[in-house]
Amino acid sequence: MQAIAAAPAVPALVTPALVTQQNMQAQTAPARPAGPLASGKRDAVGEPVARFFSATQLAALHRLCELLMPPMGGNPGAIEAGVPEFLDFHVGQSPADRQQMYRSGLELLNSRSAAKFGKAFAALDATQADAIIRPLLVLVPWQFELPKEPGARFMAAAHDDIRVATRNSREWTQAAIAAGRRPVGAQLYFFPVDPVYKG
Amino acid sequence: MPKQEFDVLIVGSGHSGGMAAQVLTQKGISCLMLDAGPEVNLATNRVSKNPWELPYRGMNKPGRLPHVVQANEFNANQWVDEKEIPYTHDPASPYNWVRVRMLGGRSLFWGRQSFRMSDWEFKSLDKEGVGDNWPISHADLDPFYSKVEGIFRVSGRKEGKAHFPDGNFLDADYGPDSTTVKKITEIAQGRGYLVSKIRASNGRNGQASSVNLLLPEAMATGKLQIVPNAIVRELTVDKNTGKVNGANFLDRHSKQELHVKARVVVLAAGSLESVRLLMNSGLANSSGMLGRYIIDQLYGVQVVASVPEARGGSAAEGLMGGTALLPRFRNLQKGEKNNFSKGYGMMIASGGAAQPGFFADYGESLQKKLDFHSGACMTASIYGERLPRFENHVRINKLVKDAWGIPVLHAEVKDSANEHNMAKDAADTAEDMLKAAGWDILSKTDKFHPPGYSIHEVGGARMGDDPKKSVLNKWNQSHDVKNLFQVDGGCFVTCGWQNTTLTMMALAMRSAEYLAEQMKTGVI
Repeated sequence: MQAIAAAPAVPALVTPALVTQQNMQAQTAPARPAGPLASGKRDAVGEPVARFFSATQLAALHRLCELLMPPMGGNPGAIEAGVPEFLDFHVGQSPADRQQMYRSGLELLNSRSAAKFGKAFAALDATQADAIIRPLLVLVPWQFELPKEPGARFMAAAHDDIRVATRNSREWTQAAIAAGRRPVGAQLYFFPVDPVYKG
Repeated sequence: MPKQEFDVLIVGSGHSGGMAAQVLTQKGISCLMLDAGPEVNLATNRVSKNPWELPYRGMNKPGRLPHVVQANEFNANQWVDEKEIPYTHDPASPYNWVRVRMLGGRSLFWGRQSFRMSDWEFKSLDKEGVGDNWPISHADLDPFYSKVEGIFRVSGRKEGKAHFPDGNFLDADYGPDSTTVKKITEIAQGRGYLVSKIRASNGRNGQASSVNLLLPEAMATGKLQIVPNAIVRELTVDKNTGKVNGANFLDRHSKQELHVKARVVVLAAGSLESVRLLMNSGLANSSGMLGRYIIDQLYGVQVVASVPEARGGSAAEGLMGGTALLPRFRNLQKGEKNNFSKGYGMMIASGGAAQPGFFADYGESLQKKLDFHSGACMTASIYGERLPRFENHVRINKLVKDAWGIPVLHAEVKDSANEHNMAKDAADTAEDMLKAAGWDILSKTDKFHPPGYSIHEVGGARMGDDPKKSVLNKWNQSHDVKNLFQVDGGCFVTCGWQNTTLTMMALAMRSAEYLAEQMKTGVI
């Protein structure tokens, strides 16, 4: 405020004609809304575009999401929460070992499905899919250490990711509010701290 | 134009640096504090958000902070950027160095558990034949603990036990124990274990940091200047005397290098960061012990049981809730035989939830199980003491530099059979007690996190009476350079099972009072 007050006036740069024009604009322009101008939310207006997984991998992931996290208790399931497309994005941004784990895991679902039922995992009914999923499900007593066997490792990681991504979705929050339940998951977000000047 | 020479340069502004600043300035000593990070207003720098409002739905940018298990997308910006300030380790021996660079350091975010260490830690060699003794005892530190407990408003329940020393506590209202906490307490006491309660720093106005409890008092003296965004590259030395006479530091943004003059230097940048600075300065290592005996605590072991009477939302009022703290109970008795040395504390919390990984199931069937056990769980976790070992060390990796061109640390810290045996004993003991209460075990693991995870890393510049075996003397003063002090956790000889912050602050206060006296009498 002090700096603005102390700044020297530059009247010669502002002609009377311009001042008049500006005043007229100010009088005719609609009042700015009280809130922010850019209040739209990306998830509310746009459909995610899957880029990372192949079509068959993504189809398998869709089916896995349907089965592992269906709609329950008035909450949306993973499909309604857009989890397959979100994971396509998230895994696509990940280090190579996580990408490989997912791709191999989804291919494993498809190859076992083909061997056992002669079709892709995405085409299996619930009973058939259960016969593929169950052998890969193992206990994970410590969440910080995934199973070593690759198939079980993929299933444990994907299961956790699908659950978290569903519960953390906008759709989950909206369902909770609509049902009169308190939404979960809100936390204090720490803004970036005075980032280093990159030049 | 010649710049001011300060009496004392303090590097770091967390609990230890803040304590040193408060003590020294209140005794009329002019101090300059340099901190590598900016000043952050926690009230305006945080805002409540839903996970879906964040770019990665709260699941964090993959691979952003591989060593900070505690990081999520909400808090990711509070931790040090590992790409900007890296460190190295053998991939087969992970080390989790969890750092904060902003005014107040980790004091802004600590868990506030505030336990004293006892002579089972200070006199470990005498009492248990393990490690080395500190050159001080609990009695030496007792008056400083009391003062720190007063400043931080520590609440706790007095127990009258030497291995779990009482302090200058506010009365704590823990409320009545739930039925399940009473039950596990009876079982533990029946085995001769002390059962107590958490001791915690209440602080003031929701904070217990250097920024609200220590630095304002120091600033009020008019004797403290704080410069943020000042990254100290190296300490400088008077070639005639061999004493430190200041430091070269870099502006965090422009990287311009400047020199500041001081009669005394007090390091409080965190155990490893201070050691890194000493190593990059080529100081205080005539013993060869600088960077050696890196220790921290063992976390991760967990056993979860389900209480039948509480399942399906059927818990009667007063059945669930609350916690029981079992201070260390192993290897305290003469003749006690275990396949590990030292011990661990245990926390048993009542009323938690089961995790999906406890069941090999999915979909609605899994959700029914999770709902069934929700609120019915008893969770036991531990605070284990790792052993100090010469071979566990950090050193400078000259091949890797941080964003300011300063060589980084390489950590070589490994666990031994002692840690693994301790973890197994803890998991077995917790399982045994929970089963004895009639509860069903849902999950048990004796796995634990890599070294560093507890964010209680200490050692690297341990104190001792023998200059050939230690870096600092009992006053946190360098054996080699008499006007150089390190008052963070670097001086620890053993780490104990207890959270380390209270002890660090008591040591920093004691050291600063000594330094002030030495300066007053002209010895320094």
